Amino acid sequence: MEQTKIQTQTLTQTLTQTLTLNEKRLLIALNSLKQTGPGPLAEELATTEEAVIQYAHLCAGKGLAAVDRDVAVAYHLTGEGETYAQNGLPERQLLDSFEERIPMKELQQHPLARIGIGWMRKKGWVTIKGGIVEKAGDAPRGEDEAALQDLSASKKGLQMLIKRGLIAEEESVSHTIRITPEGEAMVAAGLDLAEEVGTLSREQIISGEWKNLKLRRYSVSTLPRRVFPGKIHPYQQLLTEMRRILLNMGFTEIYGDVVQSSFWNFDALFQPQDHPAREMQDTFFIDVRRECPEGWEKVRDMHEQGGGTSSTGWGGAWSRDTAEGCVLRTHTTGLTIKHLHDNPEPPVKAFSIGRAYRREAIDPTHTPEFEQLEGVVMDEGVTFRHLLGFLKEFYRQMGFDDVRFRPGYFPYTEPSVEPEVWVDGLGWVELGGAGVFREEVTVANGLACPVLAWGLGISRLAMLRMNLKDLRLLYRSDVDWVREYPLADAHRAGGR
Amino acid sequence: MPIITLPYEYLETLVGTDRETILARIPMFGADIERIEEDHADVEFFANRPDLYSTEGVARALRGFLDIETGLPSYEVAPSGIEFSVDPGLAAIRPYLGSAVIRNVRLDEDSIVSLMGLQEALHWAVGRGRKKVAIGIHDLARITPPFRYFAADPATAFVPLDFDREMTLDGILADHPKGRDYAHIVQAYPRYPLIVDAHDQVLSFPPIINGELTRVTTETTDILLDTTGTDRRAVMTVVNIICTAFAEMGATIESVHVDGEEMPSLAPSERTISVAECRKLLGIDLSAEDLAALLEKMRFGAVPEGADSVHIQIPCYRADIMHDWDVFEDAAIACGYGAIEPALPRTFTVGKEHPVTRVMDLVRTLMVGLGFQEMMPFTLTNERILFANMRRKKDPAVLQLMRPISEEQTVVRTAILPMLAEILQFNVHRELPMRLFAVGDVVQEAATHQHAAAVSMHPDADFSEIFAAADVLCRELGLAYSVAESDDPAFIPGRRGDIQVEGATVGVFGELHPDVLGAFEFDQPVSALELDLRAVLQSPSRRDTP
Repeated sequence: MEQTKIQTQTLTQTLTQTLTLNEKRLLIALNSLKQTGPGPLAEELATTEEAVIQYAHLCAGKGLAAVDRDVAVAYHLTGEGETYAQNGLPERQLLDSFEERIPMKELQQHPLARIGIGWMRKKGWVTIKGGIVEKAGDAPRGEDEAALQDLSASKKGLQMLIKRGLIAEEESVSHTIRITPEGEAMVAAGLDLAEEVGTLSREQIISGEWKNLKLRRYSVSTLPRRVFPGKIHPYQQLLTEMRRILLNMGFTEIYGDVVQSSFWNFDALFQPQDHPAREMQDTFFIDVRRECPEGWEKVRDMHEQGGGTSSTGWGGAWSRDTAEGCVLRTHTTGLTIKHLHDNPEPPVKAFSIGRAYRREAIDPTHTPEFEQLEGVVMDEGVTFRHLLGFLKEFYRQMGFDDVRFRPGYFPYTEPSVEPEVWVDGLGWVELGGAGVFREEVTVANGLACPVLAWGLGISRLAMLRMNLKDLRLLYRSDVDWVREYPLADAHRAGGR
Repeated sequence: MPIITLPYEYLETLVGTDRETILARIPMFGADIERIEEDHADVEFFANRPDLYSTEGVARALRGFLDIETGLPSYEVAPSGIEFSVDPGLAAIRPYLGSAVIRNVRLDEDSIVSLMGLQEALHWAVGRGRKKVAIGIHDLARITPPFRYFAADPATAFVPLDFDREMTLDGILADHPKGRDYAHIVQAYPRYPLIVDAHDQVLSFPPIINGELTRVTTETTDILLDTTGTDRRAVMTVVNIICTAFAEMGATIESVHVDGEEMPSLAPSERTISVAECRKLLGIDLSAEDLAALLEKMRFGAVPEGADSVHIQIPCYRADIMHDWDVFEDAAIACGYGAIEPALPRTFTVGKEHPVTRVMDLVRTLMVGLGFQEMMPFTLTNERILFANMRRKKDPAVLQLMRPISEEQTVVRTAILPMLAEILQFNVHRELPMRLFAVGDVVQEAATHQHAAAVSMHPDADFSEIFAAADVLCRELGLAYSVAESDDPAFIPGRRGDIQVEGATVGVFGELHPDVLGAFEFDQPVSALELDLRAVLQSPSRRDTP
């Protein structure tokens, strides 16, 4: 028994400390009124009714007062409704303006014709035939007309008039505030009404006056207003993370043109000129031409007969004209091969992260542009085994510990490999493609060393890691998604 | 890539082992299992292996891969004595013809469906949509040799497959569903390819449609195969793939005499490969004997010749072996990618970032510091968003797509600000203030460079706010800049400024014009800026060079 009493006292003390001065004043005023609307309290506290309701809600949150909210709906005539209430609805006025029948043309002269004719027809008061408007029956007074005279006469009529904008609905909210027994007990115990201070002023701090002040206590149980910081896009966080991994692994970054000649995008990569990817169907072509670089004949010879390697080539005639046509790059590999062509001395380790373009309609899992990551290693003595080594390390850095390799097929690599990573709940997931550049590619571009290459569609990884169902969210982002997506998750999505 | 249906029972019979073993090993052979059903599996094979587009072809490869039957499969070909002539008039239209006779065929409804599947997959992968190669399979019993492949008058008429009346060749191109699909291949020529028998009965109008006359049914026992096209190697590859698939079923193959050439031979081609080169490519230790054994598993004939060479015979159905490395890849597959131990080379290199991405990262840091959120809008857009909504004249340097896929995306962006406005439009109901920025590529005159842009939407968004942001961006990026009154119609006159460096305008900022707000359906003021980052990348006043 004694125990419980002490606990109650402590609780009351703590509660008293968290009350603001305004809440205390409200409680004292309310204690004498017991139950009231906000008006008298506002007068007593010399503040607005809104402020009173706010204080009352805060007290209610502490169980010291209660606030009842009552919503009443009131109806009143609009300006237009007012006019018709005096003169009758337009259709009634129109109907009364002629005898049995009237030519349409003549009726249209009436100032209310535009509104009235339609309603007369709708209500079946008239028929219109051969340009003549003729009364049909005796047009009884409708429920809407009754409601127009007396708003309480007909509910149905009221609704009809609301729809026509002749009557407006207005909600009015009233509040009743009353004190609870706990509140009464607290007032009875006495409330300290000393002035409380919010933010300390410069003078209060340097003069030492703060020592004599009562500082308002803030509640730690109420969450603050949510604010949103400036933020790098979660998807960009992922791209930046991957860039960091490759820079750490000693790779040089490549960045380049969105517009590529077919020569660099396809031919230099030994993509045959009749390959389906080179058709208008799959690729964005543009009306721009770029000359083939010096030494293009080596690429031609490679396509036509294997260019002195053990390759047969594709056979047929290679067209320089076709190679000069331009496209929006279908992959970033065109940049890569040009970089190697311009920097043929080993070792070269290079990567790029950039948009690639495919002629695909936008839907939840396809966008015509998407980010692609690509890395190459050119050096003496590098082998397929080293490619697997790079892939394994790269995916490990990305946070995938289990990687397996399966045969794959890509037109410009041989051997080709499809790396798969283990994802709990999904199993083995194919993530990118890789291979050793075909000799038809390296020799045609003047490269003496083997080139290991791998690529990865990052939007796919983003979907996997950021748990996205819709790729479009990356490019047409919901601002709230960016605001709410925690930075730490974006980083986790990018690697370890 | 083609998805092939593999019925388990038939596959088990052909391979000689159970379905569990087969399904477990198929992914490591180079294929993706799409679906596993009660009685069959659907498997996707790669574009470079058309010989795997039939159950028979898959079984043949798997017998080797699973060590059940290795080495070169050999096929007997006896002469049929049938003559097939090719009209030189076809030289410019569709010059090449491949043919064979296939006897003792047993077909049921299922095998006819799978035969049609093989044909379609070959048309896609090798035939380039029938342009390069088209296939015709005919019931030999209905027709009389010799056969004739010639350039025919478009007014010639016959009953095409699935029809019960005669149509002219032109009529077929106009009215037959297949005719409409493939008309583009032959339409431009004055005469069309046609195959007829000794009595001028039409077998086929390649590459469009066969005649109803030679329809293959469950009664068919003997087949005449024709392949026509524009590439001799591809035409013969398809003959080889189809003939060997039938041979795997137990049919016998006979050759046809085409203009002096007996075909097909179904003989392997030969190469001598270097073991050292294979080791150099794969990075694994192999002897000539090891390499030969691996290749035998992949159905090559392979005989070591000394320590460094292997003489190989390549099966006639392999369309993908162009280069020695293609053979080495097969050795790696036979070895198992899982059996190759990954290794890292010891080469030392230093990572180096690109100046462009470095500057873009600086912009990100600054804009985030100013409280802006990054967006990553599409680079493809349309002239309405880019120019009309912005009250701007069309930029003549804008890059148009020749065949856009939708009206929404017809050009590449020349500016980023309109894209941000569009994103604001998607988000108008979100809590204000909204402060967004983007940095990335724009394209003008087919050349790519980078811009940064920002928008601020809230009831007090004004000139001063965005001027301050532009000032921060320019100062921090090290631009020696000045501001002049702008005449950019996207902004309110008197509330817009041009950012200038050495007299050239490199950016603009201000309050968006109310008509622009209206075009994007905004009901709040928006202040905005855009900066061409070339100014930063080329600025002489920059103290450090990225």
